[in-house]
Amino acid sequence: MNRPLDFKLYVITGENYHPGRDMLEVMEAALRGGADIVQLRDKTSPKRELIEKAKRLKELTAKYGVPLIVNDHPDVALAADADGVHLGQDDLPIEAARELLGPRRIIGISTHRIEQARAAERAGADYIGVGPVYPTGTKPGRQAVTTAYVAQAAVEIRIPFVAIGGITESNAEEVLRAGARRLCAVSAIVGHADPESVCRNLLEKINAWTSGEPAVVPASLPISVALSLPESRNVREIVLTVNGRSERTQAATLLELAAQYKLEGRSVVADLDGAVVPRQLWGETPLHGGCSVEFVHFVGGG
Amino acid sequence: MHKEAEVEAEERYSRQIRFAPIGVRGQRRLGEASVLVVGAGALGASLAQHMVRAGVGRLRLVDRDYVEVSNLHRQTLFDEEDAEAALPKAVAAAAKLRRVNGGARIEAFVADVNRRNAESLAADVDLVLDGTDNTEARLLLSDVCFGRGIPLVYGGVAGSEGMTALLVPGDHCCLRCLLGDAAPALTCDTLGVISPAVEMVAALQAAEALKALTGNRAALRGTWLTVDAWHFAVKEWKLPPPVEACPHCGWGEPTAEARREIAEYGGFVRLSPGMERYKTRDGAKAVFLGDEAEEGAGADALNGDAAVKGTREDALHGADSGYEAKDALSSDDSEDEAKDVLSGDDAEVEVEDTLSSDCSEAEKLVVLCGRDTFQLTLKPSVSLAEWRRRLVAADCAITADNRYLLRASTAEGERIVIFAEGRALIQGAGEVERALDIYRHYLSDETRRRADEPSVGF
Repeated sequence: MNRPLDFKLYVITGENYHPGRDMLEVMEAALRGGADIVQLRDKTSPKRELIEKAKRLKELTAKYGVPLIVNDHPDVALAADADGVHLGQDDLPIEAARELLGPRRIIGISTHRIEQARAAERAGADYIGVGPVYPTGTKPGRQAVTTAYVAQAAVEIRIPFVAIGGITESNAEEVLRAGARRLCAVSAIVGHADPESVCRNLLEKINAWTSGEPAVVPASLPISVALSLPESRNVREIVLTVNGRSERTQAATLLELAAQYKLEGRSVVADLDGAVVPRQLWGETPLHGGCSVEFVHFVGGG
Repeated sequence: MHKEAEVEAEERYSRQIRFAPIGVRGQRRLGEASVLVVGAGALGASLAQHMVRAGVGRLRLVDRDYVEVSNLHRQTLFDEEDAEAALPKAVAAAAKLRRVNGGARIEAFVADVNRRNAESLAADVDLVLDGTDNTEARLLLSDVCFGRGIPLVYGGVAGSEGMTALLVPGDHCCLRCLLGDAAPALTCDTLGVISPAVEMVAALQAAEALKALTGNRAALRGTWLTVDAWHFAVKEWKLPPPVEACPHCGWGEPTAEARREIAEYGGFVRLSPGMERYKTRDGAKAVFLGDEAEEGAGADALNGDAAVKGTREDALHGADSGYEAKDALSSDDSEDEAKDVLSGDDAEVEVEDTLSSDCSEAEKLVVLCGRDTFQLTLKPSVSLAEWRRRLVAADCAITADNRYLLRASTAEGERIVIFAEGRALIQGAGEVERALDIYRHYLSDETRRRADEPSVGF
């Protein structure tokens, strides 16, 4: 991956939802409608066939400059030169997939609770799926996680997360209100007679919630500017960068932040947005969303 | 400068003069400059070498330690002979530096820089280069430099990492404001250290020093820089301006403690702290700007009145030939005052507290650079020959004996190093308690009594 991963509308293939229509045709309609990341999901075709499908789909998505993700199979992703792979919790571990795919390809994973999300983030996933938000035919039998998990992920998770599962034009608003900024739909899009217009409508809703926020969330690159949470959420936490890592904190001043890291009693030099802050001013130095803080242990040898 | 000397200097420094920002003018300024390098270990020795080779006219070097084999992997000025002879680092470095550049005036002091002598050491220099190995000494240097308006080039290393910053009084806040009070820092003892990290930091320090000394003010980085020689990374952050409320870099009232310290150890300039600061800061600034027109005034302000200057000359140049730091630095102070030298140093409070009841006789024990070395000042001051007699009588093996120090090995294998200036190191004792035992057995008045009665062995 050469550029930071970002997307808003994630569309997944589901051939069983559009019998009689060609998969490529349906996906092209979605792409015309603004889908900006596409996943090939096909649990039934043999691998040989899957690779052929992936190759053709890759040709199509490439035309729109949209990444293609292959569900479950890193080998298929490689064979078809897809842009990444999407894993389930029971699939290959992220680290193993990374070994196979190298640092540049996208690795996403489905998560169903916050612990899995944290683990995925730690393991180096480029994005996570958060769901199923609503009961869905794509994942029969799986308990819906509801928008509560979406809200939790919005507060805690720094890599892009996409809400998935039973999302339609009519409930999209609710998911966005919970803090999602990326949506994924399967049946609502590919099962619709006019995928293009569904995509447009969903994107419009997403854009209404993201306007005014920085658009790009760097994923695998070092994060230097992080997002502030939308004010409407009324959370007093801010997102900032501490020693190169994006962190969330409720600390209002540099001193409070230092206290969180238990640095008060230590020889540490603090830098805020490119300038050193004298120690006795830590208490009166406010932090703001998107700021960058570095604490450096004083080096004393000579 | 005589014509001949000028021609010689031009030849010697021709490549440096050709470097446009320095030029003939900058080179002349270097020749007129006085620099204090504190510490002659890895950083200090490298810094001193940079300065002397570059043609700095006068270099004052002070260090409290002696050369050991374990220094040689990174302390580039020393060799096996120095370690074998257990020469004080300041002495060994000065000898090398004199061979490097015979034209430089090199003053070496074997001493622990403390509140009492720091003012004298820094009194008449244009710049202070930090080659120390501990936070306490650095904070002290910062206090002194900011009190006197002398630019301080901090440098520190540990592991493969280092940091450096040129702190200019009037422009930047002081080290105390940046760090707060002394707390344990990363050191070479905990993290080890590699020579390339040392040299990177020393090179960066030396570069800022050259800019400052040659009047290239606009070229100064003005940043706090960190560098890692192993996982290559360089970062820098803008240095903050003085903190208004700080008594050192701003205009805040000195704390009661600071006032006491200034009164006690402030040295020869017994003006009110505020006045002194005002005077020296302006003076130093003029010199630092390197403006010809202001230089005279700056020098006057720095020198203070004639009486003060006289005292300083006595204090620092009294012992040019022998590096006798004790003579050179104790000057007008009585032995009793000298005894308290370390008690003003709040950094060692913890150790002192545990010892004060035990060790009223001993000078305060100070952990030196965390490397299983304890330092203490001895009382009463006794000649090295007398110490030799006492230690031999106490069954110690003498492992080094030169005009600057005496090193002995106890029966248990700990090492005692006694410097001529009346300071001792106890190495390899491990615990504070054991160090105290060693003090009591070998270095207190008890030792003398035993030595006088040979029948009572230890």
